Amino acid sequence: MHDKTVRRRRAVLALLVVLSLILLSAYFGEASGGGLHSVQRGFLTVVSPIQNGANKALKPVRDMIGWFGDTLHAKGQRDELRKQVDRLRRQLVADESEKHGYHELLALYGLDKQLSISDYHPVAATVVAKSPNVWYSTVTIDKGESSGVHVNDPVINDEGLIGKVAQVASDGAQVTLITDSSVGVSARIGASGATGIVQPKVGDPNDLLLQYLPANARANRGEYVVTSGTVASPDDSLYPPDIPIGQVTSINEESAYRSVNVHPLADLHNLDVVQVLTAAQGSLPSNVSRLAASLPAGSHPEATASGEQLASTGGGK
Amino acid sequence: MSPGFSSAPLLRIALLAIAVVFFQIGVVSEVPLFGVSADLSPLLVAFVGLLCGSTVGAASGFAVGLLVDLALVQTLGVTSLTLTLVGYWAGRLRELRDPQAALTPLLVGAAASGGAMIFYSIVQFLLGVDAPVSLELVRQIVLGVVVDTIVALPMWALVRRSLIGGLPDDPRRRRRRAYTTGGLSPLSRS
Repeated sequence: MHDKTVRRRRAVLALLVVLSLILLSAYFGEASGGGLHSVQRGFLTVVSPIQNGANKALKPVRDMIGWFGDTLHAKGQRDELRKQVDRLRRQLVADESEKHGYHELLALYGLDKQLSISDYHPVAATVVAKSPNVWYSTVTIDKGESSGVHVNDPVINDEGLIGKVAQVASDGAQVTLITDSSVGVSARIGASGATGIVQPKVGDPNDLLLQYLPANARANRGEYVVTSGTVASPDDSLYPPDIPIGQVTSINEESAYRSVNVHPLADLHNLDVVQVLTAAQGSLPSNVSRLAASLPAGSHPEATASGEQLASTGGGK
Repeated sequence: MSPGFSSAPLLRIALLAIAVVFFQIGVVSEVPLFGVSADLSPLLVAFVGLLCGSTVGAASGFAVGLLVDLALVQTLGVTSLTLTLVGYWAGRLRELRDPQAALTPLLVGAAASGGAMIFYSIVQFLLGVDAPVSLELVRQIVLGVVVDTIVALPMWALVRRSLIGGLPDDPRRRRRRAYTTGGLSPLSRS
């Protein structure tokens, strides 16, 4: 009995395997118009309506399962899209930053042409660090000695005067901003031509004071204050003339010397690209400066006239 | 046919096979999970073999395979051959080991699915189907096995529920008989 069962089982298996192989060989070997293909097509013709009916009947089931799948997929897509948004946002910020830098460079180029800054061998630099305190009195730039930057070189941007180089390394330099108490810039009021020294206002590092103006100097609110092209001392920086510094906001007449409050034009909180005027030291203007400083007292009319130690006229052009 | 097997379960198997194949074609194949669709036919055949024995398993494998090949306009005989072997193997497993562990359907389902996919791929390669043996193919097989294993338990419940009662030697009855006729019951041994 057991042998019979085993034999029958094996025979059934062998039969089915052989049948499958015959089907496979015949189907694979025949042309598309062959008998088995025709049977398949006939089966399909018969079954198609049933399949269609089943398809329609099962559509809600499919949709329901699909809904779950779609929900999971949508969650995955949402996460992916969030990551993409983050990535694009970062890219946008980088692009905006680049655009901003580009505009600054364009403006610098415009300022170059307007003031003939190119005579001072300007070196474009990027601000890489800002002083962490609220006074923003120093920034660090990415150009240094290797690019020809020296101590006391004037630093400008597209809006106007920024400050001067205080310390220099081979590939970086520290710039002291015009809002630092150690900086004094010889300046003049654009319209009247009255000259004085621009220094930060005590107690308000974001505001400047144009001091030592002659008592009869005229100044109006909104007038521009620009560099005069002179130096206040032999060691000071010789800023090229006519670089915008700020706008007059108010006039003080209390003391013997008149002074005016000046709001700086350059946004010193958001510096990005600046230019260092590297030829201001050792170039013609600074040579003139040294020459003027070496002259005996009294031979320099401006120094005695204004009492401001104005040493020489700048420009060199 | 297994001893004591009547035509009633065969009819149930046939109806179940038709329903499952159409459900497979109409629904399951259009619902991808992890990028692959579950394949219910090897599970169906393996569970029929596990419940009904090797002969019925092999025969149902052949029939289901033929139905799939006809309905999907595939090379006739490939799926039949594959599922015949799957059904026979599952039936022999039942006849030789009679596994009763709760995880049996999962393991049998995974093995049947993996074996069927690998064998099917080999036959297709032998037939000269132009497809590279790549990591993608391995990934598809592995994911297919995972997905089939996930649906193995519901499929097992469906097949068991559909066939139970009409089986020649229902495992539950067989166990009950074994315990009550002495010798095999753990209680009688103790």
